[in-house]
Amino acid sequence: MPEVPRTGVIHDLGYRPYDGPRNGSGAIAWALFLSGFRNAFGLGRSGKSKVLPFLLLGLNLLPAVIVVGAMTLFGLDELPIDYSRYASSTQILLSIFVAAQAPVLFSRDLRHGTISLYLARPLSSAAYAVARWAALLAATLVFLLVPIIALYVGAVLSELDFWEQTEGAAKAILLAVLLALGLTGIGGLIASVSVRRGFAVVATIAVLLLGNGVVTAVQGIAEVQGEPRIGEVAGLFSPYSLYRGGMAALTDNVALTPPTGAAMTAAYFGVMVLVAAVGFVGILVRYRRIAGR
Amino acid sequence: MEQVIRTRGLTKDYGSVMALDDLSLDTRPGMSGLVGANGAGKSTLIKVLLGLVPPSSGEATVLGLDVIKDAAAIRARVGYLPEHDCLPPDVSASDFVVHLGMMSGLPRVAARERAAEVLRHVGLAEERYRPMGGYSTGMKQRAKLAQALAHDPRLVLLDEPTNGLDPAARDDMLGLVQRVGQDFGFSVLVTSHLLGELERVSDNVVILDSGRLLRASQTRDFLDATGTLLVEVIGEDAQARMGHALAAAGVPVQARGGLLALDPDPELGVDVHDLIRDTAFDLGVGLVRIQADHRRIEDVFADA
Repeated sequence: MPEVPRTGVIHDLGYRPYDGPRNGSGAIAWALFLSGFRNAFGLGRSGKSKVLPFLLLGLNLLPAVIVVGAMTLFGLDELPIDYSRYASSTQILLSIFVAAQAPVLFSRDLRHGTISLYLARPLSSAAYAVARWAALLAATLVFLLVPIIALYVGAVLSELDFWEQTEGAAKAILLAVLLALGLTGIGGLIASVSVRRGFAVVATIAVLLLGNGVVTAVQGIAEVQGEPRIGEVAGLFSPYSLYRGGMAALTDNVALTPPTGAAMTAAYFGVMVLVAAVGFVGILVRYRRIAGR
Repeated sequence: MEQVIRTRGLTKDYGSVMALDDLSLDTRPGMSGLVGANGAGKSTLIKVLLGLVPPSSGEATVLGLDVIKDAAAIRARVGYLPEHDCLPPDVSASDFVVHLGMMSGLPRVAARERAAEVLRHVGLAEERYRPMGGYSTGMKQRAKLAQALAHDPRLVLLDEPTNGLDPAARDDMLGLVQRVGQDFGFSVLVTSHLLGELERVSDNVVILDSGRLLRASQTRDFLDATGTLLVEVIGEDAQARMGHALAAAGVPVQARGGLLALDPDPELGVDVHDLIRDTAFDLGVGLVRIQADHRRIEDVFADA
């Protein structure tokens, strides 16, 4: 251990108090949100931690770039992939992104005990939780929206019908926001109850992808067996099947056992909001408990 | 004088466990020590003072602010060094202190300046740009102290700052704590389960036992000279011979380790120091030292 200079130069410089401006809670929460958002992509962290998020981001954007390239090259008169279909086809990348980056925002502070330093500062536990949640939501939205915007810009530049494209993109953005809210709630809640990063990653992937696999299987069987109602109900149990149901209700895209009837369609959107709300409230409650420990 | 921490009838029970029991105490500006065995309620008291845990009953103010109503304002003015680990291993001390300075409300530029300043004061030089995972325990404690000072707090709560340090690092840390209180002009509340440490750094000491106040007074009062003199001599069988000679001269003597403890009767009529000198000279033993015996905080704790 290096010796501490207790005398000499360092000592003689003396301590200077700080009498400059101090920020209020709003600015502090904003700073926490920004650093969380950057951390979610590995920015402001080690070089190693940038690899996975940017690799996923690149892979996620690749199909959109190819589509836009093909459009300009061959002068297609419609997009080969619909805006809202995009997130559904890259859901594995999306799931890995949320599962891997939610622990960066939630588990790390718990694992290393840094949370007690945050809680000893002006922000309340609720404000901390909201800032973390918002950072994950924003990162997930970037992941979901960048390809949609790329497709949209490509389509408009290729002089496809402007209003048609705008309507399709707007619906896709609405669905993407609902999906991002749900994924953030689920991923954030799991990461905030698990101290170990590995556990959070595995559990989130299991809930998102295995859940989707099971639901898709049930829906497939239900469709073949001529019992679509069972498939519709099963679709309420995974964020991705909810997304597909919502997509089928809003757009011309086809999905397995799409919700039929106004009540079922409303239930799909209702459950999407509910999942997001439960995740959000769960995270708030979790941090309230931690603060009181 | 202005009170830094003031509690009245402060009680906190976690169901069956009484963490704080009708605690009333005041600390004044300067260095205060908070002593107690593990589980005596030190950490709970700090949590209540930070406004993280609401008291079951009673009231508490920190820097004149109420812990329930003004919790955020208190936390903006107080620095806290927790007892347990709190450092992410993959972040450098520099980045970490900047970030936490901002979390205390400093604008980014000011946070950078302050981080450089406090890291220099705690003695982290080039290491501050390295990830903290590779730090020694002593360096980690310094980084933890730096984040507690980053926002120029009015009061610093240090929960067991010497925990897990070897004797040399412990000494360095206590020196730093002392400097924080004396040179930086902060009020400091430092907890420890080792009484001897606080004896060295604090102006007044509060002793907690099972959530109750055992005693609070100025460190000076604890350590008043007792009137006993300690004498060390060398030479062949020096201690025994010296002891007998002094006893014969009418001074009660007890052996205490390698020292002789003298309890001279103030009515004796001779200067005890002269007597010791002359006796040592007559016996031909080497007189190494004569010192006044101060009580140690441990003794007070044992009496209570």
